[in-house]
Amino acid sequence: MIPDDLRYTPEHEWVRPGQPAVRVGITDFAQDALGDIVYVQLPDPGTAVQTGQAFGEVESTKSVSEIYAPVAGTVVASNTRLADEPELINTDPYGEGWLVEIEPTDPDGTGQLLDAAGYRELTEK
Amino acid sequence: MTADLRRSPLHSRHVDLGAKFAAFGGWEMPLEYADGGVLKEHTAVRTAVGVFDVSHLGKVSVSGPGAADFINACLSNDLNRIGPGKAQYTLCLDNATAGAVDDLIAYLHGPDEVFLIPNAANTAEVCRRLAAASPGGVTVTDRHGDYAVLAVQGPRSAQLLDALGLPSEHEYMSFATARFGDASLTVCRTGYTGEHGYELVVPWADAPGVWDAVLDAGAPLGVLPAGLGARDTLRTEMGYPLHGQDLSPRITPVQARLTWAVGWKKPAFWGRAALLAEREAGPRRLLWGLVALDRGIPRPHMVVLLGEVPVGEVTSGTFSPTRKLGIALALIDHATGLHEDDEVTVDVRGRRAPMRIVKPPFVQPSVR
Repeated sequence: MIPDDLRYTPEHEWVRPGQPAVRVGITDFAQDALGDIVYVQLPDPGTAVQTGQAFGEVESTKSVSEIYAPVAGTVVASNTRLADEPELINTDPYGEGWLVEIEPTDPDGTGQLLDAAGYRELTEK
Repeated sequence: MTADLRRSPLHSRHVDLGAKFAAFGGWEMPLEYADGGVLKEHTAVRTAVGVFDVSHLGKVSVSGPGAADFINACLSNDLNRIGPGKAQYTLCLDNATAGAVDDLIAYLHGPDEVFLIPNAANTAEVCRRLAAASPGGVTVTDRHGDYAVLAVQGPRSAQLLDALGLPSEHEYMSFATARFGDASLTVCRTGYTGEHGYELVVPWADAPGVWDAVLDAGAPLGVLPAGLGARDTLRTEMGYPLHGQDLSPRITPVQARLTWAVGWKKPAFWGRAALLAEREAGPRRLLWGLVALDRGIPRPHMVVLLGEVPVGEVTSGTFSPTRKLGIALALIDHATGLHEDDEVTVDVRGRRAPMRIVKPPFVQPSVR
């Protein structure tokens, strides 16, 4: 399940382009590999992030995975529902299980990211 | 890499069930299933019934005149505490250091026949040590590939066995033999989950038929196939040690609080002198439980701190699906004097997560 309207990183994050902020989550492939997610740690709104910077963690029953900022910018929202319902990432990774919204420093910053075809190729390797 | 791993006779069943696999003790075994996941499989075992393929476990027969006496002179627990038809948790200690080469279950068939279930990764070493020490007439046979082992665990496990026409009434830590179709099974009242349960020792070739029958008979009871992921969260909630983490050749049963499985009054068992000396001197470190006081989840090898001072190491740590918080087993330096209810922190990837020291289990067992 790799929606065509999203952008992707090789670290298995998705980015939904938008104005003024982009929405970020982890892919279905990533949630499936992690297994049941039990804890999510996200940055507070206002946090400045650089591209590729680890800014949070998604932890499952068996392992933990860092989340990397897909674009540089400022975190303007985080999904507070995940504190009590981290399983939303498993059940709806592209919808209710979103992680944060980032207002990019460069409005065209998502142009460097993979498109759905490029990401699919990466997951099929 | 997977080419070197051994596979259970149920491997294709697991593939059909969409299992994710993991390497464990030299075997490729199911970690979790497509329709389950660790949390759902864990909950099925705590509230209904689950079935695990644990065919990676070792199987060793020790036969010949005086086989039981021989085993009793090697392994730590006192086999004279039980009679034929009973099973016992015991340890294979290194004779020089009293470190645990393995922890295992011994099934006493009679004075001339003992069946052992060691851990997968340690089976060859346990066999090697026993064979080297065995007196004339006693043979030690590694039967790793002769039997599959299916663990049926959970409050509805007795109902499931009843539905299959298998014996279910025998008491905890005992076993019975039974026929199932053309197969001869051993039905053991043992397990690694803390629930009422059974471990079925099944001839290798008969395993797929028994597995299918368990899932069919268990369907109305809510049975789920459960993988090693749930097995690990279930055993950690009980504080059961996992060899290679909470117990190892570098960890003695005094440190791991397993002295209840040591026959101190026996004249001889491997590691006796070293263990007595350690008990006399006091252990350098002790295994404790930790319960997270915030959202932190402790993991193996994380450092335990008292203030700024490292005082121990997490040996097993996970999210407890039952209690919905992080739990751990940790070896803590004895000289610190740390005790139940004291507070420490664990370095969770650079963050100091507060934890309280407790005595396991983390969840009350209901094995009987």
